[in-house]
Amino acid sequence: MAEENIPAELDFESAFKKYTTGMQIILEGAKAETGQTPKEVIWTKNKAKLYHYVPTVEKRFPVPILMVYALINRPYVLDLMPGNSLVEYLVNRGFDVYMLDWGIPGDEDKNLTFENYVLDYIPRAVKKVLRTSHAEEYTLLGYCMGGTMCAMYTALFPGKPLRNLVLLTAPIDFTPDNMGLYGLWTSERYFNPDLIVDAFGNVPGEFVDTGNRMAKPVTNYVGSYVTMWDRIMQGKSMDTWLAMNKWVNDGVPFPGEAFRQWIKEFYQQNKLVKGEIKLRGQRVDLSNITCPVLNIAGKKDHICTLPQAEATMSLISSRDKEFFVLDAGHVGLLTGSDAKKGLWPKIQTWLEPRSKE
Amino acid sequence: MSDEANNQKSMDPTELWKQWYETSTKAWSNALDQGKETHVDPYGLYQSWLKSAGEIQEQVKTSPSGMIDPKEAWQQWFDTTTGIWRKTAEVGGDPLGFTTQWIDMMEDARARMQAEGSFPADPFTFFKQWYDATSEMWSKVVGDIIGTEKFVEAAGHFLESYTSFYRTFRRSSEEYFRNLQLPTRSDLARVAELVVNLEVKVDSVEDAFEDFKEGQQGAIREIGTVLDGRLDQVESKLEVLPVALKRIEELKGLSTRLDQVESKLDRVLSALEKLEGKKRSEPARSTSTSRPKTRKQAS
Repeated sequence: MAEENIPAELDFESAFKKYTTGMQIILEGAKAETGQTPKEVIWTKNKAKLYHYVPTVEKRFPVPILMVYALINRPYVLDLMPGNSLVEYLVNRGFDVYMLDWGIPGDEDKNLTFENYVLDYIPRAVKKVLRTSHAEEYTLLGYCMGGTMCAMYTALFPGKPLRNLVLLTAPIDFTPDNMGLYGLWTSERYFNPDLIVDAFGNVPGEFVDTGNRMAKPVTNYVGSYVTMWDRIMQGKSMDTWLAMNKWVNDGVPFPGEAFRQWIKEFYQQNKLVKGEIKLRGQRVDLSNITCPVLNIAGKKDHICTLPQAEATMSLISSRDKEFFVLDAGHVGLLTGSDAKKGLWPKIQTWLEPRSKE
Repeated sequence: MSDEANNQKSMDPTELWKQWYETSTKAWSNALDQGKETHVDPYGLYQSWLKSAGEIQEQVKTSPSGMIDPKEAWQQWFDTTTGIWRKTAEVGGDPLGFTTQWIDMMEDARARMQAEGSFPADPFTFFKQWYDATSEMWSKVVGDIIGTEKFVEAAGHFLESYTSFYRTFRRSSEEYFRNLQLPTRSDLARVAELVVNLEVKVDSVEDAFEDFKEGQQGAIREIGTVLDGRLDQVESKLEVLPVALKRIEELKGLSTRLDQVESKLDRVLSALEKLEGKKRSEPARSTSTSRPKTRKQAS
């Protein structure tokens, strides 16, 4: 081996450097430049921001895409880093892309509910998108809880100007048996969200992150760092690992009242599939959805399991609907080489014919 | 503030934290150890690691060369760690069966790593090998534990105790700082809420204004469309005019030509008249003939 010829001091120096790199990551946290696709903020409300990604090529499709993310994480996982970004991929293919970033809620936002998000924020963002792009129709793309919110919004405002709905790992059916560990953990018998909301106001980001990581504790708490050391020792690129690790540890607080609603009405009472969710008195009936729908889920997803996402297909009335399953987890589905071959081209090819005049 | 909150006496938050730490660790320990008051480290993990690490350090110290054989060190580490945990499990410190499963897994991992060959000298390679050998089993063990009602129940108790303390601590702190006439986090949140509400109102105005602007633009567009249609009509009418003018000009031409024809006819008539006059004066001067009228005269 080549390493055998390296003088001992140099080898030691290299090992020490690697060790320092690893320890620095562990002690200071992962640092990475994320969300770099050029964008401009075209609207703000409270902490929310609406981004318009600067086109890099001539616009090929008149129907813009509005991406809506979950309330509990940062949305830059959709625009992780150059060459590993769904947003960049779509922009480079002539789509006009927008993203709604909910921002980081403060104590003053503890009373925000799904009513506020679905009935106040999303409609305003939609208007802004249509005005900015001078379009008459748009595509709504929701990821995770953002997908659930998009489905509710579509059910309440069906028809024009919404042209297409894309749901990425969006939980709809919260039947305990379909939810894996979450079914037990969020059971009314053992988990009372009132305790947390009353104590903290907003639910701390670390609490939500821990809940998600505990679903696969060995992989998330140990495996991730084994991969890190392995990559460092082998001299492999750390960019993607750092970006992902930064994202995993960058959870945002869950607005208290929205959390209470999310746990009680969705997880514990499964009201959405029963058509019992009411937002400001308006019943959310998913059968009102008639637009073309692309519903994507991951086989290894433990946050939104396959049956949770699949249930959408039987609840909506759309004739043009497709359920697409990838052999990936909740986040792995979005980034990395598998996403480049699987998810991104799928969204592109599905949207292209449905985004023309 | 609620009555409950008012009942909370203000006290030094650090004292409160100290009290909570002691009671909550005890609560965890009790919950997992079926009420027995044992040590703060319920699984004995921490102590086991410390002890085995200490023993290896001792060996290095006593070794004449200051070094030890890595294989021997790892063996020793395995033996001491599993030995201590086995003892812990025997004295009843394993209510969830966690320790027993962990020991089995350790033994299995050791057997697998021994079967693969020599133990690595550097800790990173060992760590990787250890993880590869145990992660699957480890995941299953942990999954089995965290997926039990017993675990969730214990976690529920802990959550209850923690949130209850946190609420008390928060209220007490609020009261403490209020007594010191210092603004608290909730005071700031209230101000921020007012700002947010104001922003929401501004946003509604902006929205209404944009709607109005859009509506106005729509109306202007509509008026433009109507005017456009009417202009088209005027234009089409104007387009008829040149045709009509052309026709008038054509009629004018006909009239000129008729005049020419008439003047020719006049000339012919006057010639005829002259001729007739001559005829009358010579052979038939007695008979008179009526003179035909010209077109001009007739009209």
